[in-house]
Amino acid sequence: MSAYLEVSGVNQRFGGLQALNDCGFAIAQGGITCMVGPNGAGKTTIFNVITGFLRPDTGHVAFRGRRLDGLRPQAIVAAGIARSFQNLRLFVDLTALENVLIGLPSGFGEAPLGALFRPFHTARLDRARRAQAMERLEHVGLADRAAEKVRNLSYGEQKLLTVARLLATGAELLLLDEPASGLAAGALDQVMALLRRLQGEGKTLLVVEHNTRVVQQIADHVLFLHQGHLMAEGTPAQIIADPALAEIYFGGAL
Amino acid sequence: MDYFYSYLILAEIYVLLGLSTNLLVGVVGIFSVSQAAVFGVGAYIVSDFLLSGTLSFLPALAVAAVACIVLNVLLTLPSLRVSGDYFVVTSFGIQLLATAVFTNWTGGTGGANGLPGVPPPDLFGFPLEETRQILGFTTVAAGLGCLAFWLAMRAPYGRLLKAIREDELAVAAAGKDVLRAKVSAAALAGAFAGVAGGVYATYMSFIDPSSFDLDASVLLLTMVVVGGARTLAGSIVGPFVLLALPQLLQLVAIPTTVAASARQLLYGVLLIAFAVFRPQGLAGERL
Repeated sequence: MSAYLEVSGVNQRFGGLQALNDCGFAIAQGGITCMVGPNGAGKTTIFNVITGFLRPDTGHVAFRGRRLDGLRPQAIVAAGIARSFQNLRLFVDLTALENVLIGLPSGFGEAPLGALFRPFHTARLDRARRAQAMERLEHVGLADRAAEKVRNLSYGEQKLLTVARLLATGAELLLLDEPASGLAAGALDQVMALLRRLQGEGKTLLVVEHNTRVVQQIADHVLFLHQGHLMAEGTPAQIIADPALAEIYFGGAL
Repeated sequence: MDYFYSYLILAEIYVLLGLSTNLLVGVVGIFSVSQAAVFGVGAYIVSDFLLSGTLSFLPALAVAAVACIVLNVLLTLPSLRVSGDYFVVTSFGIQLLATAVFTNWTGGTGGANGLPGVPPPDLFGFPLEETRQILGFTTVAAGLGCLAFWLAMRAPYGRLLKAIREDELAVAAAGKDVLRAKVSAAALAGAFAGVAGGVYATYMSFIDPSSFDLDASVLLLTMVVVGGARTLAGSIVGPFVLLALPQLLQLVAIPTTVAASARQLLYGVLLIAFAVFRPQGLAGERL
């Protein structure tokens, strides 16, 4: 039997820095797994490995029993894994709706020949895609901001939009890099409720998160990374109760 | 009247070049400073075929378009590896290399002396000898080019290219093939430039390397900046405005010996002034 997502023996060295050191873990389908650990623990690096943006020195990633090694990012999205970025990486000169449209799986009219020689077909299918994208915006509560350029959205709205763009890919495993960071209490609750809802709709979530309150409230399972290695895993209560982990995480600041 | 027609014909040819440059530089953000080299290759290919009598105008134009598609894809490939400033340097080198070839390969290009006596364009055996006929032809060609640009920009394809300009990595993370989109945009831009070259050569009936040098590439960039990036209107306005300027300069009493350098000076000042004071150009968006 194989796990839903399985990462094994991943090593990645950047010059003198061992960013990932025999990193391995598995996550189950349908849950929210939070990945925690101090800065530099390798959380974003392992995201880059899973999603094909980084080819590790050694190690494997398998999804639903299928090896993803060496696949390009778009092939990994097609396989059903998509990720968001800590620094959002939205297309700020495009509208909110257009950002979601880019996330939708490729359709007719995205290559020049179709766009030039079958313009009416292209326009008709694009209208259907717009309706689909609008649904994703409604899903995260941004429908009324659809025509707004992203640079005019608030930070909280931009965070929600990254989730809408991620959802548009249709991926079933969503990797979210700090979806709640930098948010005020109201927006924070909104994002947490959204993640819970996605889980209810059958998505599996792997979330990098620093806020222990968020981790306690949403995580089914917690992975604790330290110096590029999985140091501990368990329920949120188990991880938070471990004084050795708190010492690493807070660096003795408490 | 012929004088005005000739301005319109040239402006329409440059609209095709403006579309080509705007697509690559404005829309996708591949900062090429070698579009005049592609324009030149199109012009020389058509001229050579017509002068040797191997092909008639339209087949020669088709060959030129295909050759420029391939060439532009090859020239753009470095942008997939090196980005931003480094690509500009690479592209600069390509332009200088092209000028050197145009100037020294006397067998194919006539070298610095150029190629005189290029026959006028013909359509299915009917030569377009009168200026008004050629104007009709360039109007149709520029119109088709504009239509293609407009259709591409309003399709999902245009949206994808604009997203790539903003953040390639995010486009890849959304599951799109960035490489394929960039290559196809380079191909489209190459086709526009190649056709423009062929039409230019047959209209002028004489071509030499000075029409396809670095100054010409910078002129194309200036057209995009002054007209405005990423819009159809910008790609049309830029060429019409910039080609009108030399005519206006003639109204001022400038000795002919300094007229060419005065024109370059004016283009340079315009480029800087627009970049600083009106980056969205007359009818477009910020580059």
